[in-house]
Amino acid sequence: MIRSYIKIAWRNIKGSPLFSSINILGLTLSLAITTLLFLFVQHENSFNTMFSKKDQIYRVLTETSESYDNTTYATAPAMVAPTSIEDIPEIIDAVRFLKHGFGEPAYISTGTSEFIESSLYYADSSLFRIFDFKLTQGIANKALVKPNTGIISKTTAIRYFGTDQAIGKLFKIDDRIDIEITGVFQDLPTNTTLDGNIYVSFTTSFFSRRPTWSNASLETYILTAKGSKDSALKSKLKQMLDKHVDKESQWYTLNVQDLGKVHLYSNEIENGYSSRKGSIEQVKSLSWLALLILIIACINYMNLTTARSQKRSREVGVSKTLGASVSNLMIRFYAETGLITAISISLGVGLALLCLPFFNQIAGKEIPDSMLWSATFIITLVAIWAITTLLAGSYPAIYMSSLSAKKILSGGKIGTYWSTNVRKGLVVMQFGASTLLIIGVFVIYNQLKYIQDKDLGFDTEQVMAISINGINEANNVKVLEQELAKLSIVSNVASAQGFPGKTVSGRMVQNPLEDDGGMAVQTNRADAEALNVMGLRFIAGKNLPLVKKEGDSLIDVVVNKKIVDYLGYTPEEAIGKHIQMLPSNNAFIVGVVEDFNYASLREPIGAYAFHNLSTEYKEYMLVKMKVTDLNQSISSIEESFKKVVPNVPFDYSFLDQNIEQLYIEEKQTATIGMIFSLLAIFVACLGLFGLAAFTAEQRDKEIGIRKVLGASVVGIVKLLSADFIKLVAIALLIAFPLAYYVMNNWLQDFAYRINISWHPFVFTGLCALGIAMFTVSFQAIKAAIANPVDSLKTE
Amino acid sequence: MINTLLSLNEATRTVNSGSNKVALLDNIDLQVKEGEFISLMGPSGSGKSTLLNCIGMLDNFTGGGYTFLGEPVHSMKERNRSKLYKEYIGFVFQAYHLIDELTVYENIETPLLYKNVKSSERKAMVADMLDRFNIVGKKDLFPIQLSGGQQQLVGIARALIGKPKLILADEPTGNLNSKQSTDIMELFSQLNKEGVTIIQATHSENNASYGSRIINLLDGKIVSE
Repeated sequence: MIRSYIKIAWRNIKGSPLFSSINILGLTLSLAITTLLFLFVQHENSFNTMFSKKDQIYRVLTETSESYDNTTYATAPAMVAPTSIEDIPEIIDAVRFLKHGFGEPAYISTGTSEFIESSLYYADSSLFRIFDFKLTQGIANKALVKPNTGIISKTTAIRYFGTDQAIGKLFKIDDRIDIEITGVFQDLPTNTTLDGNIYVSFTTSFFSRRPTWSNASLETYILTAKGSKDSALKSKLKQMLDKHVDKESQWYTLNVQDLGKVHLYSNEIENGYSSRKGSIEQVKSLSWLALLILIIACINYMNLTTARSQKRSREVGVSKTLGASVSNLMIRFYAETGLITAISISLGVGLALLCLPFFNQIAGKEIPDSMLWSATFIITLVAIWAITTLLAGSYPAIYMSSLSAKKILSGGKIGTYWSTNVRKGLVVMQFGASTLLIIGVFVIYNQLKYIQDKDLGFDTEQVMAISINGINEANNVKVLEQELAKLSIVSNVASAQGFPGKTVSGRMVQNPLEDDGGMAVQTNRADAEALNVMGLRFIAGKNLPLVKKEGDSLIDVVVNKKIVDYLGYTPEEAIGKHIQMLPSNNAFIVGVVEDFNYASLREPIGAYAFHNLSTEYKEYMLVKMKVTDLNQSISSIEESFKKVVPNVPFDYSFLDQNIEQLYIEEKQTATIGMIFSLLAIFVACLGLFGLAAFTAEQRDKEIGIRKVLGASVVGIVKLLSADFIKLVAIALLIAFPLAYYVMNNWLQDFAYRINISWHPFVFTGLCALGIAMFTVSFQAIKAAIANPVDSLKTE
Repeated sequence: MINTLLSLNEATRTVNSGSNKVALLDNIDLQVKEGEFISLMGPSGSGKSTLLNCIGMLDNFTGGGYTFLGEPVHSMKERNRSKLYKEYIGFVFQAYHLIDELTVYENIETPLLYKNVKSSERKAMVADMLDRFNIVGKKDLFPIQLSGGQQQLVGIARALIGKPKLILADEPTGNLNSKQSTDIMELFSQLNKEGVTIIQATHSENNASYGSRIINLLDGKIVSE
């Protein structure tokens, strides 16, 4: 029986190639999108699940008080790991991670070649006891114990040494630290937070020599006894802190975060070292998008299938007189839907596979092809198939099988008031959903553009930041500065600890008149020239002095307006005032600059200061360039760089790119949303096309009679189109307020945001109407120019 | 003795037209014995098709009694009713109503599928039928590739495959030319001789004459027999 159903279904598909291909095309596109989005969601959700002790692993968080900067950090002080193992019985083991240069790339030299390594960590040897690292060479117990030893991933070993037999090989970090490779590990999958290519023994790091309770810079993971509770751990950590740290020095409290939450729920947590950061918000919005698109596709299918009901109904009627029961017919329609969805899913998965590299690129993810063949994914696919078949097949199955045989065969028009309205409702839903998507994408795009174009208060264009971490000789930095300044394409050169868009040192500025614990401030050690390069605008005082005399203990500080406001001065009054912020009692304000957005526009402007106290290294050389021929400029700068320090890799970025990095997630969501929304609209149009065809078919007799009575083609096109325009208009009316509400909510995340204007609404409205018009007219014109004799002829 | 196949007792079919009730069939009394060949005649709108539909259980009488093989159809549940007509009734239509997507073979086979007949048995039955109607060579063609007469032949073959006791034919030759009409009517009388009861609705005096009994309808009433 089933075989016969599938046979009929197959002939039906072949027998009406236009309808079938529209139907399959719509479903295929939607299912390809859904597949990609499900892969994405599944990949995100699978993070860190491969570790065998995952339920017992927690990350230690440092939470600062409101009077400090009210932030949660992913890093903890160095003393936490050893002390907690000793003090707290539930904590069995712990591992500390320090990323090289607090996240700055490392310069690796193997003796024969140099590399920039952005993923080098210092880690305790307990690493092997907590996470599952498989060493292909070396012994886990011994690998990370001694100072100046390290393990390297297989891929990285091949990159560096041309072989994965790297044990015993040597390399140098930043031209300073010698490391011997004591292990080669199997590359970890891409869905783990641990993204290190090289792990060097923690004993190599200066933190191991001077562990403190005050500097919270180490990502610390603890292994707990089975069944430990977060709340109990938290209170025990508190007791431990009270035991070892004075009340006054406790500028933080400790908390724990389940390993399962580390990837997706760390958006608000600062300083996590991993380059792989997920966002539950993104996962949620993309899941909704997937669902929405799947629904649009199913609606499409229903519309297109029932659109042919007039033709198909005869077959239903005949089958009924031949003895088919309602359930026979329902199974028959489900079989047909099942077949079409099966074809579409196969094509959709194929398409998804082809598009995966592109999708990875726009989403900034590393989803491997192999996920497509994983058992969970295949089960998901079967579930999607079943759901789509049920969702899309139910309406045709129930509707068609319930038709009365007598009515159909006596030539009556089918399509009751009810069924017509259901179909109209579906179109309204479909168009409403598409409109929502388009407006959403529009608003996101506008907000991103606003951010990009907003005057940030400093100059980001044509400013190159060259990392000079690898240059050990202070003299070489000077020489390089001079060399670069000589180039005709360069207008200014300066050095600084960091630049806007990069985290610098967080400190507190104290107001001597108020006892409020102070205000958090970002401090940046910089040259005078650095402020010029960044184009900061002075409102009072002057820049840092060009040269600081040897042995001069006086510290100069340039602050932004936020700080003088906090201290209660006017900018002019502030000049020459003592400031308590740096580890020095000798710091004075010499200049005040206007506020500028050094961080994401999601947050309001905070306090920022430049100083010339030598507590921090200057890690970047900032080069302001004159011309816009970037490639040419970059290569001549690199040439000068190589001339001065031939052994240091040339690593640079541009300030505007760094600023863009702050909004990478929004950008990804917007790009994905934009592409998929366009496809959704396209699929929605296919549905409308089907409905238009159906209506034209339903009314062909009426159209014939009207034409015989003298109606013009234009008149008939109008008649047929008017109904649809009404539907689209209703969809717009429903979608507009909803879109406004949803997007307004989204914008609340930004301290600086656009007001939603009427533009996207008008544009989307016109687009939707225009596209609908176009789609419907095609059918309407076809019906209107048909010869009325054909439609009026009866059998 | 000859059994009564079905009997109608003051059977009525009304529809609502606006606020009025219109009787399409008005107090029909009719006994049909097994082996009869009845022709229903009457002008358009006299109720021929409605009567056939109601007898065939595609439609229901709204009043009166309808007994089929001793079973009271009017008080039956939908389920049992469909079981009944699946078993005993075959339909032949003016417009043939073959399923376009199926071949001749498959069209004839379809009723057997709904009766859950085994595959091997189905094959034999369809082969017999093709043989008997001389259309073996056409078994793999689709309806659209056949002439009207041939299509109706397939329609009749399909109606007969389930071995019905009663064939209901609504203007079976309405779309055919006279040569084809004669062939079909000859076939009907042949079937009738083999014991199948037939009720046909027709406009044509000539076709009606093949029947053993002619019933004239006018405005939903039997006017003469």
